[in-house]
Amino acid sequence: MVKVYRSTVLDAPAERVWRDLRDFNGLANWHPSIASSRIEKGHPSDKVGCVRNFQLKDGAQVREKLLSLSDYDYTYTYSILDSPMDLSNYVATVRLLPITEGNRCFIEWSAEFDCAPEKVAELAKTVGDGVFQTGFDALKKRHGQ
Amino acid sequence: MMRVSIIRSTVIDAPIDQVWAVLRDFNSHDRWHPAVARSQMENDLDGDVVGGVRRLSLTDGTELREQLLSHSDREYTLTYCILDSSLPLFDYLATVRLKPVTDGKKTFLEWRSQFRAPDDSAPKLEELVGRQVYEAGFTGLQKFIAEQRELSRSATLDETMAVAAALPGEHLPSTAVIVETPGGPDVLSIRNVTVPAPESQQVRIRHTAIAVNYIDLKHRRGISSAFNLPGTPGMEGVGEIIDIGEQVNGLFLGDRIAYMSRIPGAYADIRCIEADACTPLPDGVSDIEAAMMLKGVTAALLLSRVFRAAPGGTILIEAVAGGVGHLLSQWAKAMDLTVIGTVSTDAKAKFSRDRGCDYPIVVADNIHLAAEVMRITNGRGVDHWVHSSGAHWLDTAITCLARCGHCAVIGGRDGQSIPIDVNVLKQRSLTVSAPVCFDYLDDRSYLHRLAHQFFAKIQARIIIPAVETFPLSQVSEAHNRIESRQTMGAVVLTSGR
Repeated sequence: MVKVYRSTVLDAPAERVWRDLRDFNGLANWHPSIASSRIEKGHPSDKVGCVRNFQLKDGAQVREKLLSLSDYDYTYTYSILDSPMDLSNYVATVRLLPITEGNRCFIEWSAEFDCAPEKVAELAKTVGDGVFQTGFDALKKRHGQ
Repeated sequence: MMRVSIIRSTVIDAPIDQVWAVLRDFNSHDRWHPAVARSQMENDLDGDVVGGVRRLSLTDGTELREQLLSHSDREYTLTYCILDSSLPLFDYLATVRLKPVTDGKKTFLEWRSQFRAPDDSAPKLEELVGRQVYEAGFTGLQKFIAEQRELSRSATLDETMAVAAALPGEHLPSTAVIVETPGGPDVLSIRNVTVPAPESQQVRIRHTAIAVNYIDLKHRRGISSAFNLPGTPGMEGVGEIIDIGEQVNGLFLGDRIAYMSRIPGAYADIRCIEADACTPLPDGVSDIEAAMMLKGVTAALLLSRVFRAAPGGTILIEAVAGGVGHLLSQWAKAMDLTVIGTVSTDAKAKFSRDRGCDYPIVVADNIHLAAEVMRITNGRGVDHWVHSSGAHWLDTAITCLARCGHCAVIGGRDGQSIPIDVNVLKQRSLTVSAPVCFDYLDDRSYLHRLAHQFFAKIQARIIIPAVETFPLSQVSEAHNRIESRQTMGAVVLTSGR
């Protein structure tokens, strides 16, 4: 089991950032690697169990399933159904915590997955830096940092 | 009653392990929280014992008792509740949680609680807990950690310099006591020297305490073949390991150790020593006390190995107020032996009586020692005799031994030859031995066992070492004091800070 964890501080109130994050279909609006996204079967993006199907800018196709969503805890969990990455049992969680001092927020993005031992370092970097940290950097820019 | 829920959070500008190192100690608040004047754990528990209770005195005079309910080094979180408080806070349950901010190596810190409070005081308490406890705590912690980092940065610099200085082959400057030509105490001179890096199976140590032994005086006088001139005397010491050679097991940088070695050279700030000779020190034994390891191990060897002393026996210790003597008398007394000792003055007699010696005999005058010993033992004689005053009085010792008695000749301060008539020994199955400590200790685990028996006796205060200390720079004076027979207990040189 490989675990990847990244976190950052955004200089914006938690409620505002959560509006971006809770939309399971909204990744294409702010994550620079993603070209387009849609929810399969026309489900709403906050229906637990819905599947988002998006295209990366490099052309690859990814399908991910929403496993949980909590507006109360500012958190959601999803798994990968199909992706070009050579991994399995991928489950990721996004969590937002308010920082009362300065009205900012803390975001953590973590994932667990299985893969071949020789792929661990490469995939952990792809997920941690390529997906999570790249996303953070985009969110920081989007929220005026 | 109102239910109040408070959450405050911040980002601390330090890696999570550094922040957790402070917060994980439930008893740390008086070091960083501006509102906490004093914090103390009940029953002297450590600050990470779940169930432990701390008493807090706040700067405004409020007293609180709080109990640690959960603690997780894995989750970086702890939970606690208030047991007693002069404030109307009820069912107060709080959680402190840390999370790493990987983007910038900082730490997210959240402090939350829930409690009940009377309706009219709830807003005031909410303000008090949220602002004066949590937010003020954040500010205090931020400042405390910044100061700590500043401190550790300078310490790291020192360390870097020390490590740099300790690269293989690197010499370190030190001062050492050198004897060039044999003679009196004034031939001991302080020199600046350099100490090479430790060789294989050696460690380099920075001394804090170095004990003086009688053999050092013999080395200085040039009456021992085991000491080459010019040379540095000293058989034992205590210090901190500052670097470690190849093939050393079980010793670490910064360890506080005591050692005793056949190879002289302890009269110095820094030296290299065989790792095998070193024993890490337990708490409860000071550096100065531990510096007497050779004397303590000698006492242990005499009682347990040389004499195989048993409770109810009688021992006579010459120079019972001396370095070995005063340790031996306390140890022998603790083993239920009757202890007789010789001393040179009334002051030393009193000193020895306070240290386990039942019958100190002042032998400065023309006293008939043998008659006195036989009187004390009702004509039976003594089982064990520790002889340390050269040829002088060995006859007396042999006269005073009980049947199957054993006289151990240690020290031998003048190097004179001592004739012994074996036929005399035969008359009562007597033994005369000349034990040299190091010959018994080729098995290093035996040395460490004896040393720890000695340290345990000190920890339990069964043996209370008496020490006169001199700075290393006053080594001549220390030798003078011993030679003029003015000292009581051991003489220890102190070195470094």
